[in-house]
Amino acid sequence: MNEETKLYKIFVYLVLGLVAISILLPVVWVFLASFKENAEFYGNPWAFPQGFYWQNFAEAWTEANMGSYLINSVIVTALAMVFLLVISLPCAYILARMDFPGKRFLQTLMKAGLFINLSYIVIPIFMILLNLNRSLKVTFFLNNRLILALIYAATAVPFTVYLLANYFSAISKSYEEAAYIDGASYFTTMLRVMIPMAKPAVITVILFNFLFFWNEYILSLTLLTDKKLKTLPVGLINLQQASRSAANYGRLYAGLVLVMLPTLLLYILVQKQLTEGMMVGGDKG
Amino acid sequence: MKNSPAKKRFIILGLLPAFALYIIFMIYPTLTVFKESLYKTGGLSGKKTFVGLANFQKLFADPKFIKAFQNTVFLIVIVTIITMFLAVIFAAILTRGKFRGKNFFRIILYIPNILSIAVVASIFSSIYGMDSGLLNGLGRLLKPETWQNIAFTGQSGLVTYSIAFAMIWQAVGYYMVMYMSTMAQIPEHLYEAAKLDGAGRLRQFFSITLPLSWQTVRTTLTFYVISNINISFQLVKALTDGGPNGASMTLLNYQYLEAYNNSNFGYGLAIGVVVFLFSFGLSAIIYQATKRDIIQY
Amino acid sequence: MKRTLSLVLALVMMLGLVFTPSFSVAAEDKPFEGQTLRLAGLDGGYGTDGWKAVIKGFEDMTGATVEATFEKKIYDVIRPEIQAGNAPDIIYNSIGQETGLTETMIKEEMLLDLTDVLDMQVPGEEKAVKDKLIAGFTDTAMTNPYGDGKTYLAPLFYSPTGLFYNKALFGKDGKYELPATMEDFLALGESAKEDGIALFTYPTAGYMDSFIPSLLNEVGGPELYSKLMSYDVDAWKEEVTPMFETLGKILTYIHPSTVANANGDAFTQNQLYIMTNEALFMPNGTWVVDEMSDAKDQAAEGFEWGFMPLPSMEKDGDRYAFTFFEQAFVSKDTEVPELAKTFIAYLYSDEATKAFIENKGGVQPILGAEEFLKDEDQKLFYSIYEDGAKAAMGGFQSVENSVEGVSVTDALYQAVDSVANGELSVEDWQAGVVDAVQQIADANSEGE
Repeated sequence: MNEETKLYKIFVYLVLGLVAISILLPVVWVFLASFKENAEFYGNPWAFPQGFYWQNFAEAWTEANMGSYLINSVIVTALAMVFLLVISLPCAYILARMDFPGKRFLQTLMKAGLFINLSYIVIPIFMILLNLNRSLKVTFFLNNRLILALIYAATAVPFTVYLLANYFSAISKSYEEAAYIDGASYFTTMLRVMIPMAKPAVITVILFNFLFFWNEYILSLTLLTDKKLKTLPVGLINLQQASRSAANYGRLYAGLVLVMLPTLLLYILVQKQLTEGMMVGGDKG
Repeated sequence: MKNSPAKKRFIILGLLPAFALYIIFMIYPTLTVFKESLYKTGGLSGKKTFVGLANFQKLFADPKFIKAFQNTVFLIVIVTIITMFLAVIFAAILTRGKFRGKNFFRIILYIPNILSIAVVASIFSSIYGMDSGLLNGLGRLLKPETWQNIAFTGQSGLVTYSIAFAMIWQAVGYYMVMYMSTMAQIPEHLYEAAKLDGAGRLRQFFSITLPLSWQTVRTTLTFYVISNINISFQLVKALTDGGPNGASMTLLNYQYLEAYNNSNFGYGLAIGVVVFLFSFGLSAIIYQATKRDIIQY
Repeated sequence: MKRTLSLVLALVMMLGLVFTPSFSVAAEDKPFEGQTLRLAGLDGGYGTDGWKAVIKGFEDMTGATVEATFEKKIYDVIRPEIQAGNAPDIIYNSIGQETGLTETMIKEEMLLDLTDVLDMQVPGEEKAVKDKLIAGFTDTAMTNPYGDGKTYLAPLFYSPTGLFYNKALFGKDGKYELPATMEDFLALGESAKEDGIALFTYPTAGYMDSFIPSLLNEVGGPELYSKLMSYDVDAWKEEVTPMFETLGKILTYIHPSTVANANGDAFTQNQLYIMTNEALFMPNGTWVVDEMSDAKDQAAEGFEWGFMPLPSMEKDGDRYAFTFFEQAFVSKDTEVPELAKTFIAYLYSDEATKAFIENKGGVQPILGAEEFLKDEDQKLFYSIYEDGAKAAMGGFQSVENSVEGVSVTDALYQAVDSVANGELSVEDWQAGVVDAVQQIADANSEGE
């Protein structure tokens, strides 16, 4: 190893080390802050907590209902993920790899969805559901975790299809042809041959959408008004609002940790597949 | 098998559920929203007056809208350029170099992306703070006598840079990881050949790594535009709420302010339409402008 | 277990039948038996325990059922329902909240006229509502938004606002004298500056919506104030110039970190400056004491909250302490207007007032309400008007036509951030306000 390479390595370690510290330090800080008593927040925010004040978590868990909100979040996120994959995988596969009239139009229509912003379609969505309730004389469509999950899935379709289709289109034609020659149906070919090959893209899609579903609050706030059905991010908003009128920062940070922890855990579980295989596809032309 | 009934059935059944949900819960609501942008309305009672494109005409004479538009464009440009630059460099270094702890850096750098924006905002609120902020604290440590606190979120000249920095921090790892996956697939023999030709690290980067990753980089440009618009809205709302005095307002923040706070619902939705058209158009232009011949390996 | 419980309950009820002589009378007095009232309210600084106690009292008295929802972001939760034509009967969400839900409902005329509630008898009492209300509370644009003498919003929970300071720094124990005039105030700014202390800070620019109205009243009294609030362009151009100039001078003595902290995340830092003797005065309301109680450890030695009205513009001039209050209203489409009005009237009963105060709720604007207060600090704060401070209330009139992209309140209050950090001159600030007022006035004078 020559001098130049050594210097280069030291430099790279220095830069990346600094970047890593700039990430780890604040994240650890959020954890530490969640153990502080409220009075400590008026001192130096970068000081260590004076003790482990578990009370913050107990209060967030019970008084702010974060415990039951956590369960709701798990239910909605899991359901939405299942819906999304079931509808998006075939759609992406067909748009990417089959020829049929109107394909260009459908592709463009789907791509337009990438640019629709949730913030302004929430109320129209609510109106659709309310009208369904009224015309069918039911209460099924509002305050229903299943429906919220379905709508989450619907709003995630454009991005998911876009990513998956990109990946599918980069896979060589020969795999399908071999399957067809073996007499496999279209459906079997997709399910047994193509989807397994798209595993890296599927994992990417799962993590991206998990983050979206898990952290989403505008739809949740509007469509689940029943106190028993609220999700975690809505609970967090309540904590934030509370800390503004009667500053209770400790509880807020405990809430932040409760929201953050599952995403961190999931990330640690899938990080190997994710960071090594995260693909947006397309490079093989 | 061509155009057999089985194929038709497969295509229709495969596309139908996704498109049905997408059209009912995204396209249709968007169209109703766009229709509302042609009215003067507070949006609550159903009372409204048709004004045609008047809302759009007013937009371009509204200094607050222009300021918000400038901020949005500024953030897209600066965050995209710096993030892309850093992500490509880091990815190239980590993929090519034989570093110990390569995985460590890959895992750590991705973390900001999985944090919710509420967490990111809390973190940066403490970093940018005045008396107890991390940056001002460092300043005092270095120059205990002469340090003047810097108001990172309190000056109109500085606040957009502060927002941009937080966004770059949040995004670099995400794109880096994406680029690493692509770069890892570049066959080693290309580099060996280049080395034999006497190409240094820089030459290898520009003649092999970058061209062969270009398709991925290009695909992510659309991501930059979309996520930038969304994340800047949430981050600004949590960190400065558009302040001081509108200096850090982005288009979506201004849409929210007008539609809800100032009772100009139709006008706010007109801003929503502009955001849609702008981001769609911008992505299309970037996509066309960055077109290169696809290089095979 | 369940059966025993219901048995016991039945027994208690029967005993009640026998031993409560007024029972049969009460049953006749329950005209709303079986009716349901839907109430949606903000779970804000006062919490919801007070409301819950009051609702229980009302249900017991009238036999009606109140379905109440309280949320931190109630304005976001009920907006879609209102848009769908399904508004709650009663909404407790004041003007000036984070989103302008109430303002929009006023603009779109979705409120029920409550003028006749003032003449109604308070349920369970002899007096009429108007005889209990403190004078002035139903005379402002906050309750009579259209300026036609009709009341559409019920005033609730008032609180004096003014300048908060550290008592230990003033008077016989401290090194400074409390300023009574703006001249003294500014002179104090100069001498405090030499000691390294800033004269002034504010939590966020939004808090100026009580400070500036006080100052406007000091400049021209209630007459000018009502002209200003109804978009009189000339008044904004000429007569209020001293207000802009004075506040501009005050803002040159601002604590340098104020603007950076003036957001939802860090505003408590600004409030802390008063406790740590880094700044002398800030505009605020009585709730700040509770809000900052956890910060006591950080406070300077001997710190104690002090509270005074604004210094007067001229020697022996009037000193104002703007009265902040909240509102509730009835939605126009309610199916139970009589029940809703009775509920509003009940809010002014002694019973309800006591229930609010005992459950950390606000103080109702009825005569003698402050006598129910137990906390000594609070008693002192509420006595500010007895000590000679003048009260001022109300904000801008609602207008028929809003102007896209123009907000007078933003131009007047939010712009303070830019004046404070030196990016906007006092002249341009005033010009900006005049311009916004002009546009609103123009949009609402033509046509009709």
